[in-house]
Amino acid sequence: MSHTVLVCDDAIFMRTMISDILNQAGFDVVGEAESGLQAVQKYRELKPDLVTMDIVMPDMGGIEAVREICKQDPDAKILMCSAMGQQALVVEAIQAGAKDFVVKPFQPSRVLEAVQRVLG
Amino acid sequence: MADPKYAALFLAESREHLRTCNQLLLDWERTPGASEPVNGLFRAIHNIKGMAATLGYGPVADLAHRAENVLDTIRGGRTTITPDLIQLLFRSVDALEKAVEGAAAGKGEPSARLLAALDRAGAGGSGPEQTGADGSSREPTGVGGDPALARSRPLPSAPAPAARPPARPPGHLVGVTIRSGTPMRGARALLALRRVEAFGKVTALRPPATAFEREDFDGRFSFHLRTDTAPAEIEAAIRAAGEVEAVAFDANVAVETEGPVVAARQIRVDLSRLDAMMKLVGELVVARNRLLDLARGDDTELQEVAGSVSRLVGGLQTQVVAARMTPVSEVFDRFPRLVRDLARDLGKQIRFEMEGGAIELDRSILDELGDPLLHLIRNAADHGLESADDRQATGKAAEGRILLSAIRERRTVAIRVSDDGRGIDRAAVLARAKRDGLADAAVETLTDDVLLRVLSRPGFSTARQVSGISGRGVGVEVALARARAMGGSLEVQTEQGRGTTFTLRVPLTLAIVRALLAQAGEERYAVPLAYVAETVEFDPRAVTALRSREALVVRERVIPTVHLRDLVAAKGNGLPARRPTIILEVGERRTALVVDALLGQQDIVIEPFDAPRGLPSYLGGATILADGAPALILDAAALV
Repeated sequence: MSHTVLVCDDAIFMRTMISDILNQAGFDVVGEAESGLQAVQKYRELKPDLVTMDIVMPDMGGIEAVREICKQDPDAKILMCSAMGQQALVVEAIQAGAKDFVVKPFQPSRVLEAVQRVLG
Repeated sequence: MADPKYAALFLAESREHLRTCNQLLLDWERTPGASEPVNGLFRAIHNIKGMAATLGYGPVADLAHRAENVLDTIRGGRTTITPDLIQLLFRSVDALEKAVEGAAAGKGEPSARLLAALDRAGAGGSGPEQTGADGSSREPTGVGGDPALARSRPLPSAPAPAARPPARPPGHLVGVTIRSGTPMRGARALLALRRVEAFGKVTALRPPATAFEREDFDGRFSFHLRTDTAPAEIEAAIRAAGEVEAVAFDANVAVETEGPVVAARQIRVDLSRLDAMMKLVGELVVARNRLLDLARGDDTELQEVAGSVSRLVGGLQTQVVAARMTPVSEVFDRFPRLVRDLARDLGKQIRFEMEGGAIELDRSILDELGDPLLHLIRNAADHGLESADDRQATGKAAEGRILLSAIRERRTVAIRVSDDGRGIDRAAVLARAKRDGLADAAVETLTDDVLLRVLSRPGFSTARQVSGISGRGVGVEVALARARAMGGSLEVQTEQGRGTTFTLRVPLTLAIVRALLAQAGEERYAVPLAYVAETVEFDPRAVTALRSREALVVRERVIPTVHLRDLVAAKGNGLPARRPTIILEVGERRTALVVDALLGQQDIVIEPFDAPRGLPSYLGGATILADGAPALILDAAALV
C-alpha cells in the first residue's frame, strides 16, 4: 500500500514535476493545492501521509499553512519546498512544524531522500 | 582625539566589555576555582584601560589600572579568593560603568574608599570593607602580610545566594558538522537539533541559534545534551536529519570558548538611523498601498510599474525590519547580576534562569521592555519568593527560583517572569480591593483577569511597608501600561503556595503591521493580524449563551461575542444580510468580533497616538489607509 501525498505549490509546472517524481517512485499523489488556504482544507479532507509545501503562495503562505495543519494534526508530515536564498523562511517553517526541506531546482534523488526521511 | 567618533566608539566598546565583566563575575562566583573568568576579566579591563588612557579619561584609566592589578595578583596566585574580593570586583565594575558613562563629560570619579580597597587587594591580600551582608565577612579574611594565615583560610563555603558548586550535568557534549556544499546548512542544523531534543535538554548551543539563519554559517555547531541516551543512538538520530558529515562527542569536540559569536561582517549602526529608515519605509508603504489602489484601472503599464514598486518596497520593508531585530538576550543579560544583588540585599537564596535569549524583537520594542521586566523581576524576588526558612517550613527547597523566558508565538513574543514562591494571596487582594472600593462587596473570588486589573490600579499595594524595592502595585501598573502602549498585553496566573507567572506579550515589530480591515456602520477599523485567529460567518444557529452573555460556537469552542456596531455605536442603515466575524485571540483568550464587512488585509503604519482622555480602551491607535482616509485601530487585548 503506497503512501498518499498532497502537493502544494501555486505553479502548475512545479506541481506537475513533483507529482511525476513521486508517482514514478510509487507514491500516490491524491491531491493538489495552489494556496495555503487550499492546502489546509485539502489536508482536512484527504488526511495524506505526506505533504509537500511551497513557501510562497497567495491566500495564506506555506509557513502559515504548516502552522494551521500542525494545529489540527501535530503529527503531520510536511516537506517544505523552497527557492534558494530563503533559509530564514525555511527555518521559520521548521519551527512551525515542517519536518524537512528541499531546495529548488530539484534533483529527483534528493526529493526522494527527503521524503524517506520525513516518512521515517 | 577630540573626534567625537572616538568617544562614541570608546563608549560602545567599553559597555560591551563591562557587560562581559558582569557575566564573568557571575560565572566566577559560581565556580571560584576556575581560571578562565579571571583571564577574561583581565583582558576586558585591560582593554578599557587602554582606550581610556588614549583618550585622556584619567579616572577611568586609573580605576581600570587598579582593578587590573588586583586581577593580576589573583592570576599570579598571590592572593586568596574570597566572597569579599569578588564583591569588591563587582563594585569596581559598577564604578567603572559610572566612570565610563561620565568620562566624556569629565564626571564619574570613583570613591577614594574603593580605590584604597583595590590598592590593598592588589598588594596581595584581600582588602574588603566589612560588608556584613553575609555572615562570613564579619572578620577580615586572607589578610595579606601573613601568608600562613592566608593559606589556612580557604574559601569559606558560605551560604551566599548564588554560589553553588556546579553539578556536572549528566549527558554529553556533542559536536556536529553539516556536509559542506549542502544548501541551507543552517536549516539542516536546526533539523538535526530538533531530533535530539527528544532525548533531553539542549544547552550551551554554540553558535547560538540565530547564527543558523545566516548565509555564512559554516555548518559546525556544538551543544550539551542532558540525557542518559547512548552516544550511538544520539548520533543515529542526528544523522537521520540528513546531510550530516560528522558527529563527535565529549573530549573530541572543539567548542568555541568565546562568548556570543560576533561575526566579522558586522558594522555598528546608530539606532537613530534605523529609526529614520523605519519611518521612511513606513511612509513608503502607505504610498505604495495608495499607488496599488490607483493602479487598479486599465493602464497596464501603470499596473506593471506599480507591481514592481510594490515588490521593491516589500523587499525593503523586510530588510529594514530585519535590521532592527535584536535578540532579547540584550535586555535579558542585565538581569542575572540584578537578581544576584537583590538576593544579597534581601537575604534570600534565589536561582535565576533564563530561556529563549536568542528570540528576536524589534529594537524599539525591546528597549521598552527593560523597565517592565525589571519591575516584575523585583516583585518576584521581593514579594513572590519567601525566605529560605519559610520555604523549608512548607517543604520547598530553600532556594527560590525565578525564570525569565521568551517564546515565539505566531506574530507575538510571550515573555514570562515566573517564580515558585508564595503566590498572590487572592483573599488579601480582594479584601484590600473591597476596602479601597475597587471591588464590589458581593464578589467572592478574584479570577486571574480581575486580579490583574485590581493589582494594576495606580498605587495599589498589599506590601506592609513600601521598601526601596517596589511594592507589587507599582510594578504591575508600569508593566501593564507599557505593554498596552506597545500594542501588547499582560496576564497573570497565580496559585497560592505554588507561585506566580506574569506573561508580557508583545508584537514582533512595531511600526508596520499587517491588519485586517473591517467595517462597522460607516467607519473602518483595523485589527492587527497578530491577534486574528481566523474569520467566520456569524451563524445565528450557532449562537448560544455563556454566563448570560451572547456567545458563538465555533468548531466546538464557545466564544463570547462582541458586536462592533454596538461597541462603537455605529450609525448605519439596518443590519447587513451576512455578518463576518473575526475571532480575536490573545494568548489563551478569545472573542468573536462581529462586523458589518471585511475589507481585506493591508499593511498599516501605526501612527504615534496621543490618546485623548476618556478614549475607550478598545481603541489602540490610528492609521491612514491606502486610499488616504483614516481608520482606527482596535486593541485586541482590550476586547478579549
